[in-house]
Amino acid sequence: MILKIAFRNTLRQKRRTILTGLAMIVGFTLLSVTIGLSDGAYGNIIAMFTRNRIGHIQVHREGYLDKPSLYKTIDNVSAVGEAIQNVADVEAWTPRIYGAGLGSVGEKSTAVQIIGVDVARETQATRFDQKVVEGSTLAEIPSHEAVIGKGLAKIVSATVGSEIVIVSQGADGSIANDLYRIVGIVESGDDITDRVACYLHIEDAQELLVLEGRVHEIVVIVSNINRVNKITSAIETQLNDSMLDVAPWQEVAKSFYRAMQTDQQGDAIARLVIMLIVAIGVLNTVLMSVLERTREYGVLKAVGTKPAQICWLVICEVVIIALGSVCVGAVLGVLANYLLSIYGITYPEEITFGGMTLRTLYAEVNVRCLAIPAITVLVSAAIVSLFPAIKAARIMPAKAMRTH
Amino acid sequence: MEATDTSIAESGNLQTTSENDVIVTEGVTKVYAADGIPVNALNGIDLTIQSGEFTALVGPSGSGKTTFLNIISGLDSPTDGKVWLAGKVLSEMSGNELSDFRRDNIGFIFQAYNLIPVLTVEENVEYIMLLAGVPKSERHARVIAMLEAVGLQGVANRVPTQLSGGQQQRVAIARAMVSEPAIILADEPTANLDSKTGADLLEMMRRLNEETGMTFIFSTHDPMVMEGARRMITLRDGRVDTDETR
Repeated sequence: MILKIAFRNTLRQKRRTILTGLAMIVGFTLLSVTIGLSDGAYGNIIAMFTRNRIGHIQVHREGYLDKPSLYKTIDNVSAVGEAIQNVADVEAWTPRIYGAGLGSVGEKSTAVQIIGVDVARETQATRFDQKVVEGSTLAEIPSHEAVIGKGLAKIVSATVGSEIVIVSQGADGSIANDLYRIVGIVESGDDITDRVACYLHIEDAQELLVLEGRVHEIVVIVSNINRVNKITSAIETQLNDSMLDVAPWQEVAKSFYRAMQTDQQGDAIARLVIMLIVAIGVLNTVLMSVLERTREYGVLKAVGTKPAQICWLVICEVVIIALGSVCVGAVLGVLANYLLSIYGITYPEEITFGGMTLRTLYAEVNVRCLAIPAITVLVSAAIVSLFPAIKAARIMPAKAMRTH
Repeated sequence: MEATDTSIAESGNLQTTSENDVIVTEGVTKVYAADGIPVNALNGIDLTIQSGEFTALVGPSGSGKTTFLNIISGLDSPTDGKVWLAGKVLSEMSGNELSDFRRDNIGFIFQAYNLIPVLTVEENVEYIMLLAGVPKSERHARVIAMLEAVGLQGVANRVPTQLSGGQQQRVAIARAMVSEPAIILADEPTANLDSKTGADLLEMMRRLNEETGMTFIFSTHDPMVMEGARRMITLRDGRVDTDETR
């Protein structure tokens, strides 16, 4: 009966109910779109960052991530790669080796990062070929070719067809140096990397650094990034090698991940402000409603309704409006996010985050953009109604019934 | 008519009042603050009302009739003094206990009817039984019987705003009596009714009093209602002026 009274009460002052509902609907939709855009943007950044660069999971020799070293290598690459490929949801894997050196083109020299890649696997895993903005990608067989970053090309004034001399130190302690022909220039989206990156065929790099058959890193791409932690555990189990570290992207790129989380906390504050504005509006109308019905609450108490039941009646009234608003808000939220996921919002200027360049912001339609606003609206409506509800429950019947 | 001494305080021991005493008040005082100025609505009222009485509280406006009814039903609390209702001290009860006590023992008929506007006639009458946990089938049967008793068979599905004042007061009576409480408190029950409807209502209350033995206490200005009362307590300036039993 309390529910019945609460429901019918919502229909008494239709204009007020509609206004209260509208405040909640606007709040819900704004929240939903904010979350959708935020998830879309971060999803996009994470996808670009992981899929194009670091992969979703990386395997290294124990301790390499904390303190990279030329000597911390994975020796049985094929066996490890095969074991990784056998894990469910692993889409691709690719080995890499890294080394530091000096690169010279003509009379210009600069520090370079030597990155040895398996061209076929790298193309499959991180779409390496799509990063080439000038010239071509590396040949699939070792041909003493190099592909360098756009920034590096600028520093050493290199063009496609130039020759680059790389001097480094071999794993055996010898001075390593060799000449490579630049066949392409790449733009990875990360300016810092592009200023030093010098990609070689993995076998050329192994020869230069005297690391025959050995690699520093195996990058793994999975089919579902949301399951990355489970797949990491599965790979660990499958490899069963205490000398190897298996780390998901959040661990590999700790600072990037932390920066993103901090940025997301900023979004949470924005969401809180939206809800606060809505809550104040709702509180105002609920207080008005309780004030108007003081006499009725007095009557209900007089005939034997308990204070807790009066409290529940007021809360129910607000929650009923909130439930209706959540339903309408859900439709509007999904629709808005769906449209934004197709058409997006184009930035007036490109923005960069963690080295990633974004031109258009796309929303994402997911459970979060419905669940979080729904919970927020319902809980805040219930909390907001608590004060007027307690006020109504504590009414002295005789005094309340004197109210007109 | 014979004036009787109803001051329970004189008995010296209120805990030993007879089982027939449904309401006992001792030194009940109520002070309101009107614009910051204290106003004494009740000035130490000592009264005993016994089971089955049909009592009228009369007196000029502002004499304290409604305040007294509110205090003896626990709708308001006295500034000083004590109220025993069916042997229980009202001031010692919690909010929940008071609600339960009113639900189970007191039926209210208000001057302004005070029906729940969003509920139909049937639901208004049923409401108290629902709170008391009476099974649905029993609730339904009692509502039908009560609406028939007050002559409202055809309007069960209407809401209060679709009824005349007399009909609304009948619904209020049905609501007050449907759970068969020991006491019915009525505040100016005929004030908003025409003389015929008022007479019918009074007749119905008397009949119920005689048939069921319910205790009726009502405040009134209506000479016809005063005539019908078996006991008439006159309040003046918050004090018992006269107390007559016929």
